[in-house]
Order: sequence, then C-alpha cells, then structure tokens
Amino acid sequence: MNDQTGWIQPTEATMPFFEGAKQGVLRLQSCDDCSMWMYPIKKRCQACGSNELSWKDASGKGAVYAHARLHRQYHARHKDKLPIVIAWVDLEEGVRVPGNIVHSDAETIKAGMPVEVTFEIEPGGWAIPVFRIVD
Amino acid sequence: MHPMKYATAVCGLGITDMGRVYRSAQELAIEAVHLALTDAGLDKSDLDGLLINSGVTPTIDLQLHQALGLQHLSVLTYMQGYGSSAGQMIEYAAMAVHNGLADNVCCVFADSPLQENKRTGAAYSNRKGRNPITALMGLYGFAGANAMYALGAQRHMDLFGTTQEQFGQVAISQREWAGMNERATKREPLDMDAYHASPWVVEPFHVLDCCLVSNGGVAVIVTTAERARDLKQPPAYLRGFAQGHNHDTGASNVDPLIRGPGEKIAAKALAMADAKISDVTQCQLYDCYTYTVLETLEDYGFCQKGEGGPFVEDGKLGPGGSLPTNTGGGSLSSYYMWGMTPVSEGIIQARGQGGERQAPNDLVLVTGNGGILNYQAALLLSPESV
Repeated sequence: MNDQTGWIQPTEATMPFFEGAKQGVLRLQSCDDCSMWMYPIKKRCQACGSNELSWKDASGKGAVYAHARLHRQYHARHKDKLPIVIAWVDLEEGVRVPGNIVHSDAETIKAGMPVEVTFEIEPGGWAIPVFRIVD
Repeated sequence: MHPMKYATAVCGLGITDMGRVYRSAQELAIEAVHLALTDAGLDKSDLDGLLINSGVTPTIDLQLHQALGLQHLSVLTYMQGYGSSAGQMIEYAAMAVHNGLADNVCCVFADSPLQENKRTGAAYSNRKGRNPITALMGLYGFAGANAMYALGAQRHMDLFGTTQEQFGQVAISQREWAGMNERATKREPLDMDAYHASPWVVEPFHVLDCCLVSNGGVAVIVTTAERARDLKQPPAYLRGFAQGHNHDTGASNVDPLIRGPGEKIAAKALAMADAKISDVTQCQLYDCYTYTVLETLEDYGFCQKGEGGPFVEDGKLGPGGSLPTNTGGGSLSSYYMWGMTPVSEGIIQARGQGGERQAPNDLVLVTGNGGILNYQAALLLSPESV
C-alpha cells in the first residue's frame, strides 16, 4: 500500500494543475516553442528541449488509449469503489494522461471510445481529473 | 561473418535455491558466483571481470566484489537495465572477453524482495517520493507494473480480439514445463478452469497471469569460445545478440503497450547470427506476465502483430508443441530472477542439460525486458559453433 497520509498535497510547482482541477479545468503544461503538451510536469520540453513551458487549459476531450479494472484496493480512495477502471486517455492535444473512467459499465469500455474530463472532489477539498465516456 | 558470431560462450552457470529463501541478496549473489565457478571448473582467481545487477531496490551493489574477495579485476561495474540487465550483462561481458579486456567475466543478479511474515504483494510496493501529479497514479489505482501490463493486455484484446483463454494458455503451457523442472516453485498441473478461478489482480490479469516473486541469485560466466571448449561444461555459444530501448514520450502518436523494440532487436541479433527467425527452435522469453510472452512473439516476428492470441492457443509453446517456450516454467511458474530466468533456462537448454524437458536446441532465443516493454536485450544461443 502506498503512503496515504496527505492524500493530495499540491506543491508550488504543481499548484496550477490542482487549482485548475478545483475550477473544473484540466490544466497542463505546454511548450511555448513547439506547442507540445506535457504530463505530468516537466522542467524542459521532451520534444524540443525548450524550458519555456506554460500552463494552459486543455480541452479535456480525447479517447481511451487503454483501460483495465483494478480489483484489489491499492489506495484508501478505492474503498467501496472496486472494481475501479483505470485508463490512459489520449487527449486531443496529443498527450496521453492517466485517470479513471467513471459512470460507465466497465464491461462495455473499449480502446478508442471518446471521453471527456470530469472531476472528483477528494478529502481536503482538492479535485482530481477523471473521465467519462461520451455517447 | 559478424566478428562476434560464435566468438564467445557461456561457460558457467550458478543458480541458488529459489523462492522463500530468507537470506540477504548479497549472500545469494556470493553463493551464485561460487556455484557458477564450480560449474565451469574455474577457480575464483580465474575471474577477472564482474558485472553486477540488483532488483528494483539496490540490495547488492559494487561492494559485492569486496565481499567476494575478488582481487585484480579488469572489468567491474554495477549495471541497471531492469529485466533487460541479464542479457545486457552477458553482451557487455562477451564484448569484453572478445576484445581482450578480460578473460572470464561473471554476470550476477540477486534479489531478496520476499520477507518473512510478509505477503508476496508487499514485496515491491514501497516506492514513493513522487511529485503530487505523479502521485495521482496511486489514487487512480495504477498498481505498479501489474496495472501497466494489464492495460496493454486489455488494449490488445480490444484491438485484436485476443481472449482471456489465450492468455490462460500461456500460463498452462508453461506450467506443463514447470512440472518437469525440480527448481520450479509451482509444479502442480494447471487447467483452464483453475486459471479462470484465479483471483483478479488488475483485470484482465488473474494472479496466474503474473510472475512469481522470488528470492535467489543467478550467476553466469562468459569467456571466449576457445577457452570455453577447454572447460568442464559444454559451451553455450553466443551466436547473436542485440539490445533495443524505447522511450515512451507520453505523446499519443506512439503505441508502447502494444509494440516494444523487439522487431529491431530481432533483425540485429539474427543478422549477427546469420539466421532467420524460423531457424529458432525454442524460446526463453521474458514473462513478467502472460501478455508479455504473446506480445514478444509478435514483435520478434514469430507471427504478425495482433495474431499472438491465435498463435499460442493450440499449446504450441508447451511440451510437444512446435515452438517450445519457457521450458523451465518461466517466471510464471519456476522463479522470478528478472532476465536471469530466461537466461538460465536458455543456458541449460543450449547445453542439452534439460533432462526430461530438453527441447530442440539448435538455436535458442533468450529475451529480457524491463520497464513497460521499454528496455530489451536478446541473445541467440547455440550448442554448436559452426
């Protein structure tokens, strides 16, 4: 089991992401020079090496790259939620981000299905981005 | 002819007891090295090279050479390429002995993740200290490598119609082999009902889709082909080898869970060996999960991408099958020593010492991978040098 004291503890460097989530926006870094989007957080662009990175609001829209179902509690957050769907989502911006897929029948999810971001409020009042299948 | 083809050979192999062996990784490493020396008929003073690799937690390190009392080494380093380390060490050792940097180089891996009175699942779950966005992975439920490979397996099912039974068949075929390996931890027969009944870890993975966790150590001694011929054991010649390492950029235009660097590695290793993939008579594939075996068979070209499921479902990987694979039971059923599991069985097979489980060994493919299919190394072993 991971260390679960301090469920979400934003740092100064990651605050834009968590402030964005609280406001219902998926805010990620993107490169000012080559416009590559990044996850989770970088000091330099992995594509062009620039260190001119800015936080921008992503569309929150994308498609399922891969999904699987967790059956064993791995974190206190999973209590009473199992099985929980974990997924990598390919955002329209061209970056792959992790999350959960919520409010869906897990058996019907397939790679390639369109999704959009939604947010779950966690203890302490911070929110985290998750995804739901778009009909 | 490639200058490295048949230039070097494995001359010594040491395998300690495996499983719930509650000794330190350093003790296990030392024992493995001594077992390999005895196996080769070499004295400790003959060793002039040592390459060291430990598990995720650095339970052995460069100091091992002091604990072993090895003096006057010409080659010494600690290496880390995760599950590709074993193959990598042997490749670097081969290049060292071929080029005269050293005569006999020992490659050693040992790990002791299992602790008394602790569940197996606790073995690898102590990683922390990440930034708070990365830490969200834990909140989401990305439960380590199990989750990452399960995501790949499910994507494979979504894209290609691969079935649960096809993954199950990999586990069943390997268990059949394990029944003939006295070193294997799990030897009792396994059928499809028992496979389906095995608890989910991260669906589509049952417990039986995941490798074991083992304490133990394995050491391999590499020397020149010429010297190997004068030693105690039949040489396991290195006919070809290669490595490949993919960086997952995090961009959505790559498919890292479905395609590893295997295709390029196969082409390079086969070119060195002057062989075709159809010349391979048996495989020792890195099997951290059932899916990894299926995916590797595709990448290396035994079947087309996406056809791994139908390819394995007739049991061709098992005893009596047309492509004997993981003939010691693999990491799913024998023991999990990272890349040393396929390496050790590949050496046993190339020597013709597999006993009841001996499979045709004209050309033995050994693969190792680390990360999530990112880091890979392959060896082509042969009992003959012509």
